[in-house]
Amino acid sequence: MKRRFFIKSITATTTAAMAFPIVAKAVQSKFKFRFVRPPGSLKENDFLARCIRCNKCSESCPNDCIKYMGFENGFTQWGTPYIVPRDQACILCMKCGEACPTGSIQPIKDELSELLSKVKMGKAEVDKDHCLSYQGKTCGVCYRACPFPDIAMTIGFLEQPTVTGECVGCGLCERSCIQLPQAVRILPAHS
Amino acid sequence: MTIKKHHIEIGKLRHINKVRYFIQVLVLLFILSTPILSLYQSNVAARAIQWMDGNEKLLFGTIDNIVRWFTNNPENDLDIIKGSVWSAQIGAFKMSDPLALLGQFAAEKQFYWPFVATILFPVGLTLLLGRFFCGWICPAYLFYEIGDVFRQLLNRAGTRPRNIKLSLKTKYIVLGLGTLTGIIFGVVVFPMIYPPAIISREWYYLVYLGVFGSGLTLLGVSLLFEMTMSRRAVCRYLCPGGALYSLLGKFRVVRIRRNASACIDCVKCNHVCGLGLEPMSDLTGMECNTCTACIAICPTDALTLRLGWKDDPLKQSKPNPKTLQAIHVILQNHKEMT
Repeated sequence: MKRRFFIKSITATTTAAMAFPIVAKAVQSKFKFRFVRPPGSLKENDFLARCIRCNKCSESCPNDCIKYMGFENGFTQWGTPYIVPRDQACILCMKCGEACPTGSIQPIKDELSELLSKVKMGKAEVDKDHCLSYQGKTCGVCYRACPFPDIAMTIGFLEQPTVTGECVGCGLCERSCIQLPQAVRILPAHS
Repeated sequence: MTIKKHHIEIGKLRHINKVRYFIQVLVLLFILSTPILSLYQSNVAARAIQWMDGNEKLLFGTIDNIVRWFTNNPENDLDIIKGSVWSAQIGAFKMSDPLALLGQFAAEKQFYWPFVATILFPVGLTLLLGRFFCGWICPAYLFYEIGDVFRQLLNRAGTRPRNIKLSLKTKYIVLGLGTLTGIIFGVVVFPMIYPPAIISREWYYLVYLGVFGSGLTLLGVSLLFEMTMSRRAVCRYLCPGGALYSLLGKFRVVRIRRNASACIDCVKCNHVCGLGLEPMSDLTGMECNTCTACIAICPTDALTLRLGWKDDPLKQSKPNPKTLQAIHVILQNHKEMT
């Protein structure tokens, strides 16, 4: 009996030890595509721990930009809200923060100073080799789309855009860019 | 005279079961309406309704006509009704499932007090009424009750569904495992396996995206399992929410009581109980959800509700061992004869 128990426990331990890295890899957060979290979201790990997957943020979103993760980015990110700016960008109405019961999306007042200081979804980057204005054709669409013109984005000669440090990463510039592929992209703040 | 009056009062209790179905349907309507109203709101915000066509126009135009009676600014005014039973918002009043708080606390290891405030009302009611959420609010309970009807139809059609019985304590293991997984991986895992959360999420996916998610598989498989293999298995043996509500409602105040002199030992109440409890033995324990199905089916009105924080089994004299032996012998003979 003792030997059988010994063999059993050895087998179980080995199996568990071999299975653990596989399980851990299946479970861990991955970032297989580029997305941003809704405005006011906590840092990634706190966000995953606190979000109860209640779908209220998307229900409150008047712009229908919030979508939900399946298992494509691993088990831990399942059911969490995300935004793909090129598909539908955030209009910074801040309703999702009000609706969120757990504060994983923090409630932020819809005021300029509050928005600029507290929202950190990402930061826009302009691809100067691809941007129309930098190629000599006056465009300026991203500047017109920006919710904080002259604060988050400034324009110069031929309406060439420059992103400042105030950019909150809402993605309206990326959504509105008429180049294909887009010449301005949001680099997410979470990953 | 007094006896007759007493009898009428007990007879009224059997209508509580109908009130329960009514409330369940109301909650179901709430869950079904919130995603549609939210989609309507975003269509208003997008100024899309006047450009719609066909079925879409029929649906959202009708909603628009009704809503415009009450408000001219549906985009903001309809924010008063959001969510599902997992986490609901009615006006400024927010409610969440205590299981959501448990999952969040296990994952994050700290409280977020505004969130804790949202569970106070459900927890307070649970402390008073026990596991009432299961029978009175939960949409999954209704879903599986309908599954039970199908099971009876199968039975009548001649196929006898199996009824595997597990221990009623299995659900506490599920609750513990879910909490442990949450602690280890730092995520809230309950919404993945908790039937009412799955139902409202799948409905949300259907309304918004036109497809079902992975949860429908879980619902379908569990329903088939219940219909063919084990009666009401999810609510009885597996649901982590039921386990948590049972624990919270251990000292609940409203309990089922049997009037032993009126009882004719027909065992109908034990058979009708959705949660596999035994009202006839006076031991409904902490898992009773006061659905009052047993009261409604009792042919002699022997079951009533009473106030008290403990079950009150009648003191029964122990059966005489000689009688037991005689019964045993009779049963043996019966077996040999047939």
